[in-house]
Amino acid sequence: MNPLKYFVPSRIDMDTQEHTTEQLAQGIAVGDFSAHEVTTAAIARIEATNLQVNAFTTPCFERALQEAQVIDQRRARGEVLPPLAGVPYAVKNLFDIEGVVTLAGSTINQSNLPATSDAFLVKQMHDAGAVLLGGLNMDEYAYGFTTENTHYGPSHNPHDLTRIAGGSSGGSGAAVAARQVSLALGSDTNGSIRVPASLCGVWGLKPTFGRLSRRGSYPFVHSIDHLGPFADSLTGLALAYDALQNVDPLDPACHAKRVEPVSKALEQGLQGLRVGVLDGYFHDNATSPARQAVHDAAHALGLTTQVTWPDASLARAAAFIVTASEGGQLHMDHLRTRAQDMEPLSVDRFMAGALQPAAWYVQAQRFRRRYREKVNALFEHWDVLLAPATPVTATPIGTEWLDLNGQRLPSRAAMGLLTQPISFAGCPVLVAPMWPEGAAAMPIGVQLISAPWREEAAFRVAHILARSGAAYINKVRF
Amino acid sequence: MNETESLAFVQISAQALGIPLDAASAARVAAHLQRTAVMAKLLESATLSPVDEPAEIFCPKPH
Repeated sequence: MNPLKYFVPSRIDMDTQEHTTEQLAQGIAVGDFSAHEVTTAAIARIEATNLQVNAFTTPCFERALQEAQVIDQRRARGEVLPPLAGVPYAVKNLFDIEGVVTLAGSTINQSNLPATSDAFLVKQMHDAGAVLLGGLNMDEYAYGFTTENTHYGPSHNPHDLTRIAGGSSGGSGAAVAARQVSLALGSDTNGSIRVPASLCGVWGLKPTFGRLSRRGSYPFVHSIDHLGPFADSLTGLALAYDALQNVDPLDPACHAKRVEPVSKALEQGLQGLRVGVLDGYFHDNATSPARQAVHDAAHALGLTTQVTWPDASLARAAAFIVTASEGGQLHMDHLRTRAQDMEPLSVDRFMAGALQPAAWYVQAQRFRRRYREKVNALFEHWDVLLAPATPVTATPIGTEWLDLNGQRLPSRAAMGLLTQPISFAGCPVLVAPMWPEGAAAMPIGVQLISAPWREEAAFRVAHILARSGAAYINKVRF
Repeated sequence: MNETESLAFVQISAQALGIPLDAASAARVAAHLQRTAVMAKLLESATLSPVDEPAEIFCPKPH
């Protein structure tokens, strides 16, 4: 039985795979179709495909239809519609949705009271006119890179249903790739937006640490958590990112002083940008398809210069330690009293983190400041740097070990090898979906990494990749 | 930290923090901690001076 069975429109003539975010927004604005039509098409798509993909855990179809109705009424009154009016989106189920229990991928949270208001970023999306379809699957409490959630089932990669969608925002990546929604929101502490964007072949953005408010989202690692969007097009990603920005003095980690939109910067080209390709650690920890994806992107951009990122191995180690320690401490009460109810794939890691010596954690945080200085010094000479987003394409669900150039590594942890050093420095990263030869028609993303607060530089480079046809979204077969 | 030391550390730390752990869980947690210990050892090679402060979030008052 389809647990999402809720609403079947009497006539479905919109193929959600045929329209990108900006095409839907434009079409609704000019009256080619109504927000109601778009929303019912999204609901039909979710109901038809969610048994295969398992992206949605918490549908909010009634709310979606109400929001769509408001958009159509506003248009009927002749109002100028906001930029994402009528565009369907969904959120990782760690975002508060008013009236809904925030699961954060757990069953423990099921007994919590429903959220009394929307998360800050959900409000931003609402103000931009987007229509919320529901909450999405994730690794429990965001501790994972695979979304093999034992409680709610794994999310399946829409390009090969036997494979993982990546994580921890796996439902977000899968929902956009399956074109259930045009946009999705996720969180990224060590790669949890970038990994599923890479493995599902969609656009993703982890903004600068502190750029977007985290208020109203369930935390994982306070000192590294980021939030950001996924999209079915680069223009859609830019529209969503612009809509999400705002200052928020009530989030102690929101450092943004102003809104800095990127949509109008997309077509500025590469002029004045210094763009290079990361070597060393980011080459050594990548398989052939990942290297090929970067090679293809570099070729499209005309790049030849190799650049070495400072202290990548140390940064990965420090990120790992900070994550384990803060994550473990956050769930200390659960570890004491509800460990048997926690995700079997991560409870031991939470436990080990909670027990870590304080000296390891403090060393990691002291290193982080020195590391930041080295990274910022690097960006005095460069504007955007390229690296693979994941070492490999999506692995089969249940994979335990990864053979990475002769190293045998735990698969679930190794998927974040190439993302962890970057987020630990807080740099913004845009993931461009690539489809290299030799990857068996599976996607793998390229990270476009820029200096803190320079998201627009990554968007400009991404625009060249999109325009040249090097980076793009592929349709799925169902 | 070898396997035995890691297991002993896990058991005594869990007891100190009031986390119940059966033998099987303790062994699995110790295996995880051993992997992290390798990273911690690596991180000790980072050159830090006494004035290198931790990365910050705390701010007494936004201004």
